[in-house]
Amino acid sequence: MLHEPHLDPKAKSPPPARSILSHARELFRLRLDKSTSRVSLAALCFAGLFSVIGGRLVQLAVTSENTSEVRRAASSEISAARPDIVDRNGEILATDVKMVSVFAEPRNIIDKDEAVELLTAVLPDLDATDLRNKLNTKKGFVWVKREITPRQQAEVHRLGIPGVGFLPENKRVYPNAEAAAHVLGFANVDNVGIAGIEKYIDSMGLQDLNGAGFNISAADLKPVQLSIDLRVQHALRDELMKGMTKFKAKATAGAVLDVNTGEVIALVSLPDYDPNNPVDALDKDRINRINVGVFEMGSTFKALTVAMALDSGKYNINSTLDARSGLRYGKFTIGDYHATHRVLTVPEVFIHSSNIGTARMALGIGVEGHKAFLRKMGQLTRLDTELPESALPIIPPRWGELNTMTIAFGHGLAVAPLQALMAVGALVNGGMLIKPTFLKRDEEQARQTALQVIKPETSEAMRYVMRLNASNPAGSAGSAAIAGFFVGGKTGTAEKVINGRYSKNKNFTTFTAVVPADKPKYVFLTIMDEPQAIEGTYGFSTAGWNAGPVTGNVIERVAPLLGIPPRFEPPAQPFPLMSRLNAWGTH
Amino acid sequence: MIKLLHIIAISALIVSAGYAYSIKYDTLYYAEQVAKLKSRTQREREAIAVLQAEWQYLDRPDRLQAAADQHLDLQPLKIQQLARLSDLPNRPEREDEIGRKLEALGLLGPTATPKDRSNEARTPSTQTPRR
Repeated sequence: MLHEPHLDPKAKSPPPARSILSHARELFRLRLDKSTSRVSLAALCFAGLFSVIGGRLVQLAVTSENTSEVRRAASSEISAARPDIVDRNGEILATDVKMVSVFAEPRNIIDKDEAVELLTAVLPDLDATDLRNKLNTKKGFVWVKREITPRQQAEVHRLGIPGVGFLPENKRVYPNAEAAAHVLGFANVDNVGIAGIEKYIDSMGLQDLNGAGFNISAADLKPVQLSIDLRVQHALRDELMKGMTKFKAKATAGAVLDVNTGEVIALVSLPDYDPNNPVDALDKDRINRINVGVFEMGSTFKALTVAMALDSGKYNINSTLDARSGLRYGKFTIGDYHATHRVLTVPEVFIHSSNIGTARMALGIGVEGHKAFLRKMGQLTRLDTELPESALPIIPPRWGELNTMTIAFGHGLAVAPLQALMAVGALVNGGMLIKPTFLKRDEEQARQTALQVIKPETSEAMRYVMRLNASNPAGSAGSAAIAGFFVGGKTGTAEKVINGRYSKNKNFTTFTAVVPADKPKYVFLTIMDEPQAIEGTYGFSTAGWNAGPVTGNVIERVAPLLGIPPRFEPPAQPFPLMSRLNAWGTH
Repeated sequence: MIKLLHIIAISALIVSAGYAYSIKYDTLYYAEQVAKLKSRTQREREAIAVLQAEWQYLDRPDRLQAAADQHLDLQPLKIQQLARLSDLPNRPEREDEIGRKLEALGLLGPTATPKDRSNEARTPSTQTPRR
């Protein structure tokens, strides 16, 4: 009993001593039954934490709903970046620049009428009713005006209308304007390719990436390098423009093709358009005549016929063909424009452009052989290049002997000029048919897909007759025979079909030139639609008087740009096989 | 002893917390700098794109042609004016005395470059017909 008070001094600690210290000690007590206050404190802490997080979530959900929605709407509307397009020397043909566009959030505009009034005052070309309708919708995002100037941006900014803002966008610009319009095509205000190479770029997967929501910046995109040479392109366009005014032609077009790689060095079709402002780009008159138009190529096709005849083995360079009188077939008679009334050798048939001679050659081969050869040369099927626009050749539905005879000299089969140029390239480059391309490539890449269509010997014969046509006084290509470049060529004049019959005075003239003829590097093509006889052409409007000289001007101006060295002594043995065979005209 | 360990542990904790704090704020600072630089390079890139487009616009062949026609007294290049390096004439004979003396001593090797005889004749034998 005595020591009872000393039994447990700790338990005896008085209630007033249960102060902060003891509470703290409670927290660190390890025994489970005594740790309730610790648990409750922890529970309290977690409850507080969760309520803070929850509150913040509610706050975010309430306040930032609008901005994120606008951002989402804007990102799908905004113009995507496109890769630059450069020419074969790296000159820029098309590029993106940043422009500012005005947008509005109709939901956040308080006084819509006032907004319409203010905006139309600053941007006078806006349609007020159209804008009012746009602002009266319930949409979260509408465009007010795309691509405004910095000055207009400052003015709109100064209006201070709530709910109207600015977004930077990519705008496609073509600094060279018309120079390569038909090759480049153009992109619309949303930077989606509509035509030409621009559409090709989109079809290669750019648009799919944008659609999937990938935000592509200009830095990720590699420039697309074309085979076009801007300087040549400009020179060609300039010369064709001069030719078109001089001969009062309705339209004209030209192309330069590298025969060893299939690269299109230049392609011009006049009239053309400005891709920066393509309002009249889809005009029927402004189609790409080289690629999209199909035409009866006239005597240019005689080159194909002669090559077919020589390659078949049934004819050789010394074969003779009777052109003493017109070739009768049923009630039709085929005559010659430059009638010779005698028996001609193959080179003579070519340089006199004898319809009778070529028709006889085609008849000798037969309809099936003729068709097979033209199909092999790619003249009967659609020519697909990178350009999305292409045309199907117009083939006679029932191809009889008469068709073969007329097609032999270029009437009755309409092909795209680029297609014919590809075939001429194959005739002179040693017999390799190479599909034209608008992208830069080298000879090895071209050889991988090339097809050997005629024998190299036939190719030499074709080079020989084309050169002879330019060098012989009787030939028709003399007007393009620029000294020093050893030019070879073939004229072609087709009478245009007006109301179902061939017109006598409306011509479609073509000229195909090969430079240099002994070792071809480039083929040149000029076509003219309805050139007129002018002073100095003695009433003629055939190819030798208009398309020929224009091609000559082009070669004279472009050959130095293309790095073809001029030679003032003719090559020693340009056509060894021909002189061995003692062909007509070698002596 | 235990107390000392406690003190060491607590101070280590404080130091490491302080270090982590400073690292974090450094990171924030640098991240901000990176973002700033990125936006600056982006702006520069856009400016370069605009300048390039403008350069090409001013440098476009048709504008140059019009300007050259108007302001320069130049004529179109003639094919006869083109020459290759091998067409250039050889170096003329040495005039200096020392050179001749060296030559006499056999110390001066021949310097004449091989001549391309095929291109010697510069008078064109073919002519572009009148058009």
